[in-house]
Amino acid sequence: MTDDRDFTRQSFLGPNSEQILAGARAVIAGLGGGGSHIAQQLAHVGVGNIRLIDPQSIDKSNLNRLVGATADDVKCSTPKVAIARRTILGIRPWIEVKAEQRKWQEVDHLIRDAHVLFGCVDGYQQRDYLEGAARRFGIPYIDIGMDVTEVAYGVFAVAGQMIMTRPGCPCMRCLGFLTADRLAREENRYGDAGINPQVVWTNGMLASLAVGAFIKLLTPWFSVNDHYTWLELDGNSQTISASRQPDYTARFASCPHHGGKDGVGDPFFALPSRSR
Amino acid sequence: MKVIFRTTESFLESVRTDLIRPHPFAHERVGFITVRAAQGADHLVVLAQDYHPLADGEYLRDRSVGAMMGQEAIRKALDLALLNPVGIFHIHMHTLPGRRLWFSHIDLREQQRFVPDFFKVRPNMPHGAIVLSPQSAAGLAWLGPTEIVPIAEFNFVGTQIKIVRSSGDGSTDFYV
Repeated sequence: MTDDRDFTRQSFLGPNSEQILAGARAVIAGLGGGGSHIAQQLAHVGVGNIRLIDPQSIDKSNLNRLVGATADDVKCSTPKVAIARRTILGIRPWIEVKAEQRKWQEVDHLIRDAHVLFGCVDGYQQRDYLEGAARRFGIPYIDIGMDVTEVAYGVFAVAGQMIMTRPGCPCMRCLGFLTADRLAREENRYGDAGINPQVVWTNGMLASLAVGAFIKLLTPWFSVNDHYTWLELDGNSQTISASRQPDYTARFASCPHHGGKDGVGDPFFALPSRSR
Repeated sequence: MKVIFRTTESFLESVRTDLIRPHPFAHERVGFITVRAAQGADHLVVLAQDYHPLADGEYLRDRSVGAMMGQEAIRKALDLALLNPVGIFHIHMHTLPGRRLWFSHIDLREQQRFVPDFFKVRPNMPHGAIVLSPQSAAGLAWLGPTEIVPIAEFNFVGTQIKIVRSSGDGSTDFYV
């Protein structure tokens, strides 16, 4: 056992958990405040193959929350995926990291053969598209996001959510998180989004919930029979609770979104001609 | 090219439930799974789409094998691939416990006879054969009429993601 292969402190996850995690492939779309935390945690728990996608480079306004970033990165405008790669390899050099400074739609081959997709993006539309990709390629989707709302003059409410959905079960539209109204309001705000407030501790709490959901999916640590997970964070009182929103949403017998049975795979797939 | 076969746990359970139904004379049941595919960064991903069991009358009486498909069953499977942009995977189940899960010699011989025919009607999709155990799966993918590779990894996506990896010969642990 090498110095960075001692997982005794997390052996309670199950007898083969070290091998399971080392053999897992996880994708993180969005390496900002939330995604950078997730990348760091996946490295610590020993996920063997981590794929990073984000088109942006660091900006000085990111330094308040981007895990692993330094003042030099701001000076050099280091790509966010490069910062995450450096963080991961600094923790466990044996992890295979694939990093693309592109929009995820341009490199979705990284998603197709992964086991889990983390969505750490801004906006409901992007979440909807990402969950659609996860459904198409048959993998669970774990989404995190936070928002700060001025509820009265000078009074701010910090809130966030972690949602895990998986193929064959309710999606974020089914659950009532993504609604036509929310998507339309976002579309109408396009170009006038203003500053999106984000803070490191709330990002970290949500990222930790996401990694917890991931560990439950992969290891036999804590067997649950949930069809989805939706946890809500009240950032002001710093409490987390299961969302009751799905209780008030009309439920479908099976998810009618994302194309159903015909919605899997690459519609343009063709074997290389050499094979025929 | 390494191949992943991916399905939801609930889909696979419904297939198993069908395959263990007794047949009037055949010793086991068989069926076909239609699949879609996607090329990933390191693997070709084959995604289960739908299950098509053989009807009772589509089995032939043949005491030398567990189940023998009639021509009508194979014609229907060819039709599926002809009329839809899907690959076809033959599927059956081994219920007698063993250490490793793999096809019998008869399975391997019979697959060679009918799987390549799917390329005549749908040449751009992978086809193949899968054998299930009560907990696991193993299989072969045809990437061309004569290009056959063991399925390297099965992903069963349910409350947990079960990742089953095959050894070099394609076999997997009977119990995982």
